[in-house]
Amino acid sequence: MPPWVDFEPFIVSGLALGGVYALSGVGLVVLYRATGVLYLAFGAVGALGALIAWQLTTRAGAPGWAGWLACIAVAGVVTLGYGLLFGPALARRDPLIKAVATIGLTLILYGVMDLLWTTSGGQARSLTLPTDNYTFTIGQIQVTWTQVIALGAGVVLTVGTAAFLHYTKIGTAMRAMANDRDITATLGVPVRKVEAAAWLGCGVLSGIAGLLLADLVALDATTLTFLVISSLAAVLVARLRSIPVTFAAAIVVGLVHDLLTPIVALSNYRDMTPFVIAAIGLLVLSRHQVIATSREEA
Amino acid sequence: MRATLERAAQPRTRRAITRPQLIKGTVTAAIILFTLFGLPEFMSLYYVDTMTQVAVYSMVALALGVLVGRVGLVSLGQVAVLAVGAWVAARLLFATTQPYLLVVLEAGLVTMLAGTLIGLPALRLRGLYLALITLMLAGGITVVLATVNFPNGGHGFLGYNGSQVHIPPIRRPSIAASDPAYFRYSVIIAIVMFALVLAHIKTKPGRAWAAIRQSEPAALAAGINTWFYKLWAFALASFITGVAGGVLAGAIHYLYSINFPAQDSITLLAVTLMGGVFSLWGAVVAALLYQFLPALLNNWGVSADWLIILFGVGVLQVLTTAPAGLADQVPKDLARLGRFLRRRLTRGSAP
Amino acid sequence: MIEVDGLTVRFGGVTSLDAMSLTFEQGTCGLIGPNGAGKTTFFNVLSGFIRPAAGTVRAFGTDLLAMAHFRRARWGLRRTFQTEQAIEELSVFDNVAMVHEHSGLNRGHRRRDVLDAIEFAGLDADPEAKVRTLGAGQRRLVEVARAVVGRPRLVLLDEPAAGLPDEESRRLAEVIRRIPEHTGALAILVDHDMSLVSACCATTAVLDFGKLIASGPTAAVLRDDAVIRAYLGVDQ
Repeated sequence: MPPWVDFEPFIVSGLALGGVYALSGVGLVVLYRATGVLYLAFGAVGALGALIAWQLTTRAGAPGWAGWLACIAVAGVVTLGYGLLFGPALARRDPLIKAVATIGLTLILYGVMDLLWTTSGGQARSLTLPTDNYTFTIGQIQVTWTQVIALGAGVVLTVGTAAFLHYTKIGTAMRAMANDRDITATLGVPVRKVEAAAWLGCGVLSGIAGLLLADLVALDATTLTFLVISSLAAVLVARLRSIPVTFAAAIVVGLVHDLLTPIVALSNYRDMTPFVIAAIGLLVLSRHQVIATSREEA
Repeated sequence: MRATLERAAQPRTRRAITRPQLIKGTVTAAIILFTLFGLPEFMSLYYVDTMTQVAVYSMVALALGVLVGRVGLVSLGQVAVLAVGAWVAARLLFATTQPYLLVVLEAGLVTMLAGTLIGLPALRLRGLYLALITLMLAGGITVVLATVNFPNGGHGFLGYNGSQVHIPPIRRPSIAASDPAYFRYSVIIAIVMFALVLAHIKTKPGRAWAAIRQSEPAALAAGINTWFYKLWAFALASFITGVAGGVLAGAIHYLYSINFPAQDSITLLAVTLMGGVFSLWGAVVAALLYQFLPALLNNWGVSADWLIILFGVGVLQVLTTAPAGLADQVPKDLARLGRFLRRRLTRGSAP
Repeated sequence: MIEVDGLTVRFGGVTSLDAMSLTFEQGTCGLIGPNGAGKTTFFNVLSGFIRPAAGTVRAFGTDLLAMAHFRRARWGLRRTFQTEQAIEELSVFDNVAMVHEHSGLNRGHRRRDVLDAIEFAGLDADPEAKVRTLGAGQRRLVEVARAVVGRPRLVLLDEPAAGLPDEESRRLAEVIRRIPEHTGALAILVDHDMSLVSACCATTAVLDFGKLIASGPTAAVLRDDAVIRAYLGVDQ
């Protein structure tokens, strides 16, 4: 076992990563509860946004903030567009079908990204946020403001979303719709509008997550598309329901993953962290299964 | 009504083969014969290799079709299962001198065992969660394989020697060493796998799967142990995919973890949906989309990314409109066209 | 007979069944009540899809709840569902035979038992015909055949006549009434059609908001004030 001091930098990076996973996880859970769709394209949309930001800032000479705005806007619009186009058509179907449909979107985005920003030439791209350059130290550990923002965003969004769901009209409507869309509609709730809000919100979050992950991890279409799996792990442990548990699980996924880095024997396997955590979470879940006879949510 | 029942109550005599069945059988036999003996004659080696891949992946699509189409289980990690089968086959081929066919069978059985063990707890989960757990497991396997690597003739349990300079190719069966011969070998194994699935569909498990697909509560109420039959489907699918892995090992001679990227499982699911999960021909269509079209485009210098986009669109189209996929839709369209033409022709000849 | 004792089911804050205690003696028994009263929940408990929070069910002396759900068919529990469940891609024969083969019944008698069940249900169709070629009424009869094939002990019928025209409803009523004498099973019929319930069931129980509010001879129950109030929601 390496000495404690070797772990210290990874605590910070793990927390930062966990923060972004939490932000993504919360977005996924809220969308799922409002629409029944597990948005597997979350990572791909964020990746697209990040690549567009990169293109604008490094190739078209646009200022940094314009790139970030474009990223978030594109992510939001694509997600909202998908929700408006395919949401109604699949509204009555099983959550599994709805999730598989988002895989269709993932493939489209993935193909587009590889076409426009291919990596086969061997060129590696990177996206750096200005906050990377501002650091401070806690004890022996150097912390960048990007990492602070990542963790902070995760915390703020978790708390904010929980508050939003409980104290605002739209939030309460989303909670009602998670229970039963049709009954909620008959209560006079503008179901379509609420859904659109959920889609847009989730899209915006995917753009933010895309930017942060592109900075913290890598600006690579494949990597960013499949990083959604880490958030999925957190979301699954939370049974697609609890926001606080999503947050906690996401932090754990991020921390464990990075903390395994200095442990030589396990370091190569650290990418398995989300899988192992999710598998354990799901198998614990499977002990309490009840056969659904009506269209109950997963 | 009495008469109907009395007639049916007669001991079940061998029913005469109906005309549509005869036509279907003849066409199938013709296609098989042509594939085995005609195709390799006028295809370049590049395409012979491609069609061998089509044979391999038609088995994987077949397995996926059993899961998705017959039982409604979505696997998001079938390519990882293929990798396991290929790994086992490669290890055995290097370490032993067993005949190739036996190795392929063993690869299938080991994969089936692994699939069954995973299925035991996993199959108690509902649709979406089950799909996600296959994604998670596949991801785990991918990471392990990237670290452990594929056997390359080295010693030890893993059979991998990292510092080896000259890597021996994975051997082929002595009767099928050349590329066209190996192509035929793969096709025959694929046909056996298809026959195995057909045998399942027409008998008790197939009927149980139909009941589960329709409604799990109703199946349970009919006394069907749904978990057991799902496990059976899982085991069958794992076996077939493992066999495919064994065939793949000999086809490409050298295995690397980049041959089995995570996104391939997603793409494979997409083409299987597009090809049609209810019909066996759908698996062949899926494999053609998955291997033949990219090879074609590659030859013409067009990026395969366009296909990825197409597959994404295909998934959305299939799920929102034609759940049975192309293999179901095209024959229906052809039949309609046939009827239209016939009417046209008879009208023309009327006095 | 079926003895239900203190059966309670809770679903996220809602009590679907509230300490239901009732005995079904024999023959065909009706179970009625307004929508959401808990009738289908009760069936789901019997089928094993829902675990009750409390209570027991003893069927002909056996503790039904202790059995795994798919084993109950082997024991002799049969059920039809509100939405039709006959498997479209299989033939009528295969649909009914499936129940037979998964209930551990004698293979040698299968053909005879299946055809017998089809005939009893009054289904006038080629047993080899695929169910997808049949009309709604005939599909219901396939369900009934599946419910009576072999040696059923307890047959649960959940709104079997829903959506059927009068003539077919009446014929179905005849079939349902004869289930106990033909198979020796006890049948429980859930339905909203009072004429169907009157025609088939000697005794009837009434649920409202998960509670049992009346039970006894059908005619008397249907005239009971409490029952009328529950259906009309009238406060008297």
